[in-house]
Amino acid sequence: MKRPVRPGPREGWPTSSRVDEMQKTFWNYLMLAPFMILFGAFFLYPILSGFRYSFYDWDTVREPVFVGLKNYETVLGSRNSRIAAGNLAAYVAITVPLGVSVAFGLALLVDHFAGFWGRFFRSVYFVPVVMPLFLAATIWRWLYAPNFGMFNLLAGWLGAGNIRFLNDPDVMLYSMVAVDVWVSAGFNMVILLAGLKNIPRHYYEAARLDGATKLQEIVYVTLPMIKPVMIFVISYSFISALQVFDLPWLLTGSSFLDYGGRQKALLFPVMDMMGRGFGSLSFGLASAYGFVLTFVIVLLTAAIFVLQKRDART
Amino acid sequence: MTGLKRNFSRITPWSVAKWAAALCIAFVMVFPIWWMFNVVFADPGVPASLNPRLYPTSLSAGIENIKQVLSETGFLRAYYISVAYTVLTIAGVLLIGSMAAFEFALFRFPGARILFALVMLSLMVPTAATLIPTYLVVAKLGWLNTMQGLVVPGLASAFGLFMLTQFMKSIPQEMLEAARLDGATHFQLYWFIALPLSKTALVTLAILTFMKTWGNFIWPLVISQKPELFTVSQVVSLFNAPLSHTTVDVVMTANLLAAIPPLVFFLIFQRQIVEGIASSGTKG
Repeated sequence: MKRPVRPGPREGWPTSSRVDEMQKTFWNYLMLAPFMILFGAFFLYPILSGFRYSFYDWDTVREPVFVGLKNYETVLGSRNSRIAAGNLAAYVAITVPLGVSVAFGLALLVDHFAGFWGRFFRSVYFVPVVMPLFLAATIWRWLYAPNFGMFNLLAGWLGAGNIRFLNDPDVMLYSMVAVDVWVSAGFNMVILLAGLKNIPRHYYEAARLDGATKLQEIVYVTLPMIKPVMIFVISYSFISALQVFDLPWLLTGSSFLDYGGRQKALLFPVMDMMGRGFGSLSFGLASAYGFVLTFVIVLLTAAIFVLQKRDART
Repeated sequence: MTGLKRNFSRITPWSVAKWAAALCIAFVMVFPIWWMFNVVFADPGVPASLNPRLYPTSLSAGIENIKQVLSETGFLRAYYISVAYTVLTIAGVLLIGSMAAFEFALFRFPGARILFALVMLSLMVPTAATLIPTYLVVAKLGWLNTMQGLVVPGLASAFGLFMLTQFMKSIPQEMLEAARLDGATHFQLYWFIALPLSKTALVTLAILTFMKTWGNFIWPLVISQKPELFTVSQVVSLFNAPLSHTTVDVVMTANLLAAIPPLVFFLIFQRQIVEGIASSGTKG
């Protein structure tokens, strides 16, 4: 016999025998087992063994050789990882504020349509999210194509020269951010929109009675009310931006022999890590790379969390 | 007459701007997908400068493209692999996740809180960290280039467990108690009570898992390196590689075929998809 978690008023915790108790928990553990075994085998164990490998030089064929902290030194000191970190910083600094602002703009716009048209625009803006990222990247790669790509045709009609969207190191990052915003705007918009719908209408009415303009309404009513949702959207965008892989991979060479593009302008840390692992078969080094990345990501996530907590108290 | 008048008086500069902006953005959002469609259904041989692919021009050329991609490249097999990978992952995530969620949500037993906290903690760890070590485990098991290598490591979904546990917490204990008095076993409580009552959460999780798995790029990239087990994403990616001389209409045909399942899913399950994502932000 098993007992419920929250005992009813007439019934206390079971005073049954030990055997009964054991039989009860046996079923609990049995149902839990598949999940916990898989979780252990494909999450906990890999993390622990990966941590061990990060101190070894290992190509999966020869015996691993213990090298101490050398892998970590290589990760932090090598030229490619510095380029990747620089690219990432620039990318995050542009794409997060831009992406969230665009999403907020879209949410405000959609919020001003009622009924059918509200739902219609929400769905249409969401369509890019539904597309797998690898598809979005491939489509845009061809739209960006030199000479005959759609955008260069457009540039030609407008009298501009041929823009090498994916081949000019000064432009490549912006080309990627454009795809990124196109893909993620709908996702963030849907979350923000749900936040907007939760703001009681009489707040706006009160603001309007006080003679607030549309802009003042947004600054003094919408933004403060939507803050928790906004923080979620910003942190989520931020954390996923730190791990960017699919997009730059597919916009550049898309193979372990050729990635990152001209002058490594679209080389990002996860790509660099993957290249070291599967391109040059240094799995110890790649594991160390993964842990450096995790450390930075968890640290930044914690920083956001702390800032937000402190903000909430004041 | 009065209705017409009222409609006219509603046309203000503000509402015109609103509609113009909404329609322009809708155009931008849909254009790349529309363009993909037009490339597939374009008269072959007409250069982009003469036909910039702003609308479809030839139905038969498109059908020809689709036939060619399905018969002359490994795309059809990749499609099967992707479908199998997605279906097996959804089934596994739902079954294993709901079994664990049932226990965590409705029962108290030694270790439950610690185990749950451990799984939740894993949500903080970025995929980047686990990718290579998990690959090494799969390699050690001899599961590279196998379907179980693709599917099994993704089944213990911490996000899925969290979602289902939250949902199952609302199942009243009285219902379990009543069924138990009628002689239901532990497994029957799960199968006949918890599962049917969690249908909404299961559907949402299934849809989100579908989108994630069908679009998963990085995991198949490392696990299935042999053409026999290529997924759709890898075939599309190969077309992008520098030395592949694939023409744009072939690439876009493959793209279009890969886009059909998620688009159809979206048309059917719009509400669940949008609300599932929206609630992840406002509740969490």
